[in-house]
Amino acid sequence: MPILYPLVVSSLLFATGTYVVMARRHAVLVLMGVELMLNAVNLNLVTFDAYWHDSLDSGQVLALFTIAIAAAEIGLGLAIVLLVFRSRSSINVDELRELADRDEAPTA
Amino acid sequence: MSSLVLDALVALPALGALLAAAVPASGHRLVWFSLGLSTVVLGLSIGAWVAVVDSGPGFHFESDASWIEPIGVRWTLGLDSLSAPLVVVTALLSWCCLVSLVRRAPDCGGSRQLAALVLLIEAGSIGTFVALDLIVFFVFFELVLIPMWFVIADWGDSHDAEGRRRAATRFLVVTVVGSALVLVAFLLLRSETGSFDLTVVADRVRRIDHGRQVAIAALLLVGFGAKVPVWPLHFWLPDAHSKAPTVGSVLLAGVLLKLGTYGLLRFWYDVVPAGALEVAPYLGGLGVVGIVYGALACLAQPDLKRMVAYSSIGHMGFVALAISTMTPQGLLAANFANVAHGAITGLLFFLVGGLKDRLGGTTFDTIGRGLYGRAPRLAALFAVAAMASLGLPGLAGFWGEMLTMLAAFSPNPALPQTTYLVLMALAGLGVVLTTGYFVVAVRRICQGVGPGDSLSDVASDEWLAWAPLVLVTVGLGVAPMAMLWSADGGASLVSAVLSR
Amino acid sequence: MTALLVVALPLLGAAVALVGGHRRRLVAPAAACVSCGAAWVCSLLVAAAHLGDAAPAVVGPYVIGTGGIPLQASLYVDQLSASMLLLATTVAVLVQIYSVAYLRGDPRYPSYAALVSIFTASMALVVVADDLFVLLVGWEAMGACSYFLISHHWELEEARAGAVKAFVMTRLGDVGLLFGIFVAGDAAGSYRITDVVQAASSGGIGRTQATAATLLLLCGIVGKSAQFPLHSWLPDAMPGPTPISALIHAATMVAAGVYLLARLLPLFMLSATTMTVLAVIAAVTMLGGALMALAADDLKRVLAWSTVSQLAYMFAALSIGGYSAGVLHLLSHGAFKALLFLAAGSVIHAVGSQRLDSMGGLRSSMPVTFATMTVGFAALAGLPPFVGFFSKDAVLGVAGEAAFHGDAQARAWLVLVVGLVVEVLTAAYATRAWLMMFFGRRRSDVARAEPHESPWFMSGPLLVLAILSTLGGVAVVRPGFLGVAPEPFHAATALVSLLAVAVGVAFSASEWWRLDGHDPSRRLGPLRPALAAELGYDRALMSAVLSPVRVAMRTVVASESDVVEPYARGVGTGASWANRFLRWLHNGDLQRYVTAIVFGAVAVAVVVGIVQ
Repeated sequence: MPILYPLVVSSLLFATGTYVVMARRHAVLVLMGVELMLNAVNLNLVTFDAYWHDSLDSGQVLALFTIAIAAAEIGLGLAIVLLVFRSRSSINVDELRELADRDEAPTA
Repeated sequence: MSSLVLDALVALPALGALLAAAVPASGHRLVWFSLGLSTVVLGLSIGAWVAVVDSGPGFHFESDASWIEPIGVRWTLGLDSLSAPLVVVTALLSWCCLVSLVRRAPDCGGSRQLAALVLLIEAGSIGTFVALDLIVFFVFFELVLIPMWFVIADWGDSHDAEGRRRAATRFLVVTVVGSALVLVAFLLLRSETGSFDLTVVADRVRRIDHGRQVAIAALLLVGFGAKVPVWPLHFWLPDAHSKAPTVGSVLLAGVLLKLGTYGLLRFWYDVVPAGALEVAPYLGGLGVVGIVYGALACLAQPDLKRMVAYSSIGHMGFVALAISTMTPQGLLAANFANVAHGAITGLLFFLVGGLKDRLGGTTFDTIGRGLYGRAPRLAALFAVAAMASLGLPGLAGFWGEMLTMLAAFSPNPALPQTTYLVLMALAGLGVVLTTGYFVVAVRRICQGVGPGDSLSDVASDEWLAWAPLVLVTVGLGVAPMAMLWSADGGASLVSAVLSR
Repeated sequence: MTALLVVALPLLGAAVALVGGHRRRLVAPAAACVSCGAAWVCSLLVAAAHLGDAAPAVVGPYVIGTGGIPLQASLYVDQLSASMLLLATTVAVLVQIYSVAYLRGDPRYPSYAALVSIFTASMALVVVADDLFVLLVGWEAMGACSYFLISHHWELEEARAGAVKAFVMTRLGDVGLLFGIFVAGDAAGSYRITDVVQAASSGGIGRTQATAATLLLLCGIVGKSAQFPLHSWLPDAMPGPTPISALIHAATMVAAGVYLLARLLPLFMLSATTMTVLAVIAAVTMLGGALMALAADDLKRVLAWSTVSQLAYMFAALSIGGYSAGVLHLLSHGAFKALLFLAAGSVIHAVGSQRLDSMGGLRSSMPVTFATMTVGFAALAGLPPFVGFFSKDAVLGVAGEAAFHGDAQARAWLVLVVGLVVEVLTAAYATRAWLMMFFGRRRSDVARAEPHESPWFMSGPLLVLAILSTLGGVAVVRPGFLGVAPEPFHAATALVSLLAVAVGVAFSASEWWRLDGHDPSRRLGPLRPALAAELGYDRALMSAVLSPVRVAMRTVVASESDVVEPYARGVGTGASWANRFLRWLHNGDLQRYVTAIVFGAVAVAVVVGIVQ
């Protein structure tokens, strides 16, 4: 199989994920966008692993590592989303500006 | 031959500083202790100088021990006729400072902490002068800054707490930026020659691409130039001096500025002469601008201490011009002027400090006129110091300036001769302007009809602290050969370096 | 080694006077007089051995490495330096004795005596030095002593100003001297005077180098000897104590310029340019000085201007190569001008004022001063048989010789004609001052009740100098002891100059009688106020020099506060602006961050693609 197919698929996945992260305001959707991007990278890793016939299969190992990290990350992320929702009953990321460095009190 | 003399010269004051800061005893006793320690260091340094003069060119009292082996840093120290006089001046000025602290505690107290800081500055400066390893040099070079920051920021002008902090910080920032550039130059040298050892680097430096050598010389120029200070990097100096306590000013002018000129001399002449030749005319030009600019600024100063500070810029301009000639004569001149400036400006700052103790300020208006009548000995000492500073023959300042102009008259053949003739003539103009502002200052404060108060004249502890500087000033003026001979050895070393 | 003692003894005396002078009243005068007296004895010993055609004595050299041409600290005593040494120490010891009485009760006497001793040592050093840098040390140390001594009365504004002016102006010249030494030493390969002279006489120095060196040296000489255009400090130095004016500003320090020129004459002779410049300077100065002396109201200023003019006479002689004439006039002028100043001091001491119009009729109340000062004025005017007549005759004789037979005729004619005119003027102003001081009515507005003769401590030195001024003529006619060819008496020029003197004396005397005892210089009409104001030269010079300095000074101050300070502060301000900008970027909107990252990554990728 030519290497182009999986690469195109992964690029599309990554672009979709990026678009979601950039454009959607719902925090859960943003997290999903991140997942899409991670999986696009995973696809790349596996693809190149197969393509180069790596003797240590480091691409596959790294993909597994990423999946594990992603699982942990989504757990943490959803927990944060839940906490935020509980405290201000909205998870619109546009309104979450607490990280800004301001002298005055945050507006939201 | 390994010798512990230099290790002792560095370690004694450093340990003394630790003891004076840490031991819970009465402050007064610890100042006495520091003074005793610094007397030992002074005696040791004079002995070392005499030995160096006797044994001719090259490094003596070398000490070599492993330190940070993985990156090739070794604890190597050595003393030659270039560094020996500066070590003695450092020890002498520290001694004088400590003498002046014995009876006169600073207004805000803490004389033992101040004594500890003086010892720490002494240790760091001597370490810088004797270091033969680039990293050891750099460590000591930086070490001096921190105690000086404390001296200015905590013991400085008691009327202006914010101003003294700002002055101290400005001093620290400018010189740290300068030394960062020096560090870059050192790392370049290391990457090109594979060693941090001064003598090894000097041996291998010819292998370096010429452009790199020029770059290294330029980095050193800017880096050390901030410390000297070469115009236009001088802006930290007047503030630092005017806010610093007397002890701080004396050490700043007499010792810290010399770290910069010593660095330039050591690394330009011994390490990258070929590169330095390309950059030297710029240093000469900036030095002369400093001479004239400093003198003109002095003419306009309403404050005596600031005036002395600006006069330092002028004198350091002479040293810069001497260095920039890249001849053995220039080296001699620079070294002589370094020592002479240390003694004379140290004395001037002590005298200004004495006036400040008596009158509470240093502006011309606060001091008032007629000091000849109000405190005759103090005023006479000021007049003598002013004469020395304006370069009167027969006193130390003259020989430094004269040799500098002589060196500028016949600079290194690779340098533009006509440029240097112009620089020499402008330096001569600076001499006249210097004369002008000093006699105007003498006229302004020493002569005339004063307010009629009678000030306490020079006290015995002040005599003790100031007399060595007066003696050095007169002695070197009458017998300049004391320095010239000792430095001749260094000059022959350098001429070997320059001619290869 | 005795020559070294001449330098060392007064220094020792100075140290003793400074340390012990304020404790015991007698220490300072004793130390000063004894040390200078001992120095005088030593110089007598040195001089006696080296007058005539004895070989010069050389001490040293003591070589000091400079990395280039070494300094060779050495002393050299030949006929010229021996006679100068004798002059300097004689005047110094007389002035020390005189000062004991003149400054009686002055609390500043110990430092004064010490400074005079240091000055004596410096002058001796200048005279016996064989290395140009050693000479420079003495040269400038003299300048510093002069500075401190002029400002002896530092509560007086004009003393302070005069001191500053004298010091800065001479140092301006000294920078030229320093550079001249560089050039001369570079050309001759040595800084020893004997080597330089040797190289100059044997053709080892090129014409261009010689011109450069001598013109630069001339700056220092002109500054020190108060010649045009650096002459104006000398009259302003007169607020100093009068003995100082006698020693420093008449007999020795200002003559050091002449001495140096005479010492280096073979080098100067190499350059016709320099000699022409020198002749013009000398002509302008001697004429101007004599005119100013004729119009000045202040006795000491009259003498100061006269010194300026007479020094120019010596330079005029040297400019046409008249070595022995110049040196002879230097020596004779040293004697009679010191006499005049000391006698003037005696008068001022008695009258309490320096103004000529407050004196008058002092003949009877101050007989010793009158007699000695008459000798001095006669010598100054050039009346036979006093020393001034012979030395001036030597100068004019050389000029006449050169004008008719020499090869630099233009220069010689200039010197001869201006010299004769100055003879007239000198006789006129000497007569004027003499008449106004000692004859006519006593002025009633004088503060002191009855002027009286000065104590013996003061009149003793006057008598000694008067004897020297009278008998010195013998030595001038037979100057074999100087090791120079005896000056034949120039009958023709002597007659002409006697005529000139007669005209001058007649002018002042007749005006004096015509105006019934009033200032004869009134005859000058509208010229007089202009001359009394010294033609506004000083003010013009001061503003021409000081205003650029002031402008430069203001520029520096402005640049310090408006350029340097801001860029120092600018670092801090810049950092805080950067801080604000970055804070503005970090507005907390995560999606904007992501957008920035994505576009940044794309941009980097594009740039890398293009570059590769």
